Amino acid sequence: MSSQPQNRYKADLRDLHFVLFEQFRLGEVLGKAPYDAWGEEEVKLTLGEVHRFATEVTGPLNGVGDREGCRLDNGVVVTPKGFKEAWQRLYESGFKSLGVSPEFGGQGAPRALSVLAGELAAGSNVAFDMYPGLTVGAAELIEAFGTHEQRDKYCGKMFGGQWAGTMCLTEPQAGSDVGAATSFARKNADGTYSITGTKLFISGGDQDITDNIIHMVLARTEGAPKGTKGLSLFIVPKRRILADGSAGASNDVKTVSLEHKMGIKGSSTVLLQFGDDGQCIGELCGGEELQGIRQMFRMMNYARIGVGLQGLGIASAAYLSALEYARDRQQGSSAKEWKNPDAPRVAIIEHANVRRMLLWMKAQVEGIRALIVKSAIHLDQAAVLAGKDDKTALYHQGQVELLTPLIKAYASDMAFQVSEAAIQVMGGVGYTQDYPVEQHCRDAKIFSIYEGTNGIQALDLVARKLGQAGGANTQRFLGDLAKFVAEHGSHPVLGPSVQNLGKAQEALGGSVMQFLQWAQVGEIDRVQLQANRFLTMMSELTVGWLLCDAAVIAVDKQKALPEGDPDRLFYEGKKQAAIFFASQVVPGIVGAAKMIATGDRSAIDIPTAAFATV
Amino acid sequence: MKILVPLKRVADPDNANKVKIPADGSRIETTGLEWKPNPFDEYALEAALRLTEDGKAPKVRAGEVVVVTFGPAETDTTLRAALATGADRAIRVECKDEELDGLVVARALAKLVETEKPDLVLLGKQAVDGDTNQVGQILAELLDWPMATFAATIREEAGGLLVGREVDGGVYSVRVKFPAVVTGDLRIVNAQSVYSLKTDKAFKYADGVRFAALPAIMQARKKPLLVKKLAELAAGAPVARYLKYEAPPQRKAGIKVKDVDELVSRLKNEAKVL
Ligand SMILES: Cc1cc2nc3c(=O)[nH]c(=O)nc-3n(C[C@H](O)[C@H](O)[C@H](O)COP(=O)(O)OP(=O)(O)OC[C@H]3O[C@@H](n4cnc5c(N)ncnc54)[C@H](O)[C@@H]3O)c2cc1C
Repeated sequence: MSSQPQNRYKADLRDLHFVLFEQFRLGEVLGKAPYDAWGEEEVKLTLGEVHRFATEVTGPLNGVGDREGCRLDNGVVVTPKGFKEAWQRLYESGFKSLGVSPEFGGQGAPRALSVLAGELAAGSNVAFDMYPGLTVGAAELIEAFGTHEQRDKYCGKMFGGQWAGTMCLTEPQAGSDVGAATSFARKNADGTYSITGTKLFISGGDQDITDNIIHMVLARTEGAPKGTKGLSLFIVPKRRILADGSAGASNDVKTVSLEHKMGIKGSSTVLLQFGDDGQCIGELCGGEELQGIRQMFRMMNYARIGVGLQGLGIASAAYLSALEYARDRQQGSSAKEWKNPDAPRVAIIEHANVRRMLLWMKAQVEGIRALIVKSAIHLDQAAVLAGKDDKTALYHQGQVELLTPLIKAYASDMAFQVSEAAIQVMGGVGYTQDYPVEQHCRDAKIFSIYEGTNGIQALDLVARKLGQAGGANTQRFLGDLAKFVAEHGSHPVLGPSVQNLGKAQEALGGSVMQFLQWAQVGEIDRVQLQANRFLTMMSELTVGWLLCDAAVIAVDKQKALPEGDPDRLFYEGKKQAAIFFASQVVPGIVGAAKMIATGDRSAIDIPTAAFATV
Repeated sequence: MKILVPLKRVADPDNANKVKIPADGSRIETTGLEWKPNPFDEYALEAALRLTEDGKAPKVRAGEVVVVTFGPAETDTTLRAALATGADRAIRVECKDEELDGLVVARALAKLVETEKPDLVLLGKQAVDGDTNQVGQILAELLDWPMATFAATIREEAGGLLVGREVDGGVYSVRVKFPAVVTGDLRIVNAQSVYSLKTDKAFKYADGVRFAALPAIMQARKKPLLVKKLAELAAGAPVARYLKYEAPPQRKAGIKVKDVDELVSRLKNEAKVL
């Protein structure tokens, strides 16, 4: 056992349980269809085992994957040592099929549980988790849109981990602008399609873990219209599939090159060439052409929440690493003893500036966890109510739509910032490879880029989501928040914090009105200029709300516990994090709204040539 | 083979600082503690599962593992976790923690053995709370069964086991005939520590305790869990009474010595260990 790499990953299961059971009352959906098989005991046992898997299997491989990286050997990607075995153990354990439907051997677990299992998987080793994560995503596409035959042929094997999957959207000239893709699919006489084209930056595009890889490829058919409307989705295996269902000869999908990246080095990112020799055969996913972008969009919410989870996982891991170090590292003496040269040394966590950074990190991590679980519980409620109370189910679904760009963009931005703060807390050693936080920081950077850059998320929020369903989703969201503010504005402990939320909400509402005004007079570029800022404001407001919501519960629970009960400290932490965030972050929303209101447009007015004259 | 595996829950050893003794020293404060299965008991369960399967096809059971615990209703959680990990049946002996000590547990187990008739009782060598290390030994004495303690390896043979026991400086092999009592040590969960007759000797397990697979977690609720009364199993047994608890003395800060001479002299004159 001793020669094996050490685990550095740590998670806060107490907070996971709090968010699930105390804040979002998962108990209310457990035992109800479609979650009738699930009780509290099963949920806790599952989280406990997934946590063990994260600390015993994937966690120890995180540093290995980073240092070894992937390499391209004769056109085949070689993944880091231990990845293949970890994959096998993952699928033996069945943890990756938590949310998969029973039809394909899964357990149909509530989303709220799946997302927290996702936090543990991504937090312990995000590079490894990309392979199974994308495989589930690809299989879900086939499950949702494939023909019966395609579901039979692919889903079981993919959900079961025999084959992996990828998502192939990006091309050299088609990044954010997916509609610029030119990969081509020519229909053959037998109904299959011959695929040609180049796909760039494909995660898991090749690996040595599974004996086949199923690529989900967006491509154009003959005579298809321009832009995203002209895209169709194809199922393109790396190796041809024989009649008995096993993998046969090459399907003319070549791995041309492997990216050398800043982070997630254990995850292969490759350039794929389809049909160089005219021998690449794909199947249309489902029965209809030109449905590609619609199909992808249906899955996009999950994929984007998935990236938010990667952010949460890394941020939490970085926070807990920094906390552990700060409690241990002795440096300097207490500020109260500034005159005494012989004062005893203290742990750096005793210094005000370090405490400030740590509490900021704690509040971000726990607030983002609550944000993601909130959206997951909305999905679970929607599932439980479907067919019984469709109107309420629609409300829940609408909240997910609205929250998704916040989750994707804010969690990913904060993952980078929290891991940066972790380095800062730890000082010099944080910058070295002796501790995991510098890797967290490098790994986290990609989250704000892929699955739609955060710039694109902000546009999605202001241009689509705010006005979606005639603005009803936004109104319901603001209504829920206003109700909370009205209910708890004079809370004995959290009153002032809750009032800050009220002021911020008013300011945010002002910015929405401002955007509408600009839109009416055609000054869309002003809106676009401020979209990112607005997304951050709305995210901070939501996170502040959910932290205060948690704190209201925590204050009550704390009161009910006897003096000396160790759980009182947990609740104290929830309370202080909320107060901190409400007084140190939330008031900034009011300031940000003022900046928007100035209507400053210098970034547009400056001539492109004037950015630098070199 | 049929194996009985007793399990005990202990205060989470990773959070040992949460264990408090009130000022009057009358008890150990247990409110707010997080409970975990005793690690050595988890190892014993893992070893028992390995002995009742073919390592290559662990989903097919080739024997029976019955887990048993002593405690109030909330200790069902410990049993459910074991059932999810692969145990076939569970028994909870209803009682309060204060009603138990090593002798009571051993007597009750001996009584259970009469009805369950296992070939083997496989226990952890000790629980990491009281560290008493005695239940297995007392049980073997009460049953008058052969015993092998501190097992590092177990190989099933026809009608018995070959057990490698941890001893100072190495491993000491003994053969025991069924029925027997074995207690397990840390290395019993290494990749090549335990082989049933069915498992190929070249087969390697993953190090450590197996994961409860997700489908098994969902099935655990459907496996039988029987509740018995302590009074039926250990009627009239005397229980150790604890007079007073106190925390061990705080460790004093260490000192740095100049050289080996000073070290030797301090060890001789102050510590008086030389
Ligand atoms: C490690 C890694 C893994 C990846 N995995 C996959 C994968 O598995 N499958 C896949 O298909 N792709 C994958 N990608 C590609 C990824 O999704 C793209 O990099 C991303 O969509 C951005 O595209 P781009 O890199 O071409 O940047 P560009 O589109 O060139 O964007 C550059 C900048 O311009 C901004 N911008 C662009 N257009 C607009 C606009 N209309 N309005 C405002 N701002 C705009 C962007 O926000 C960004 O800041 C991966 C990339 C990386 C680095």
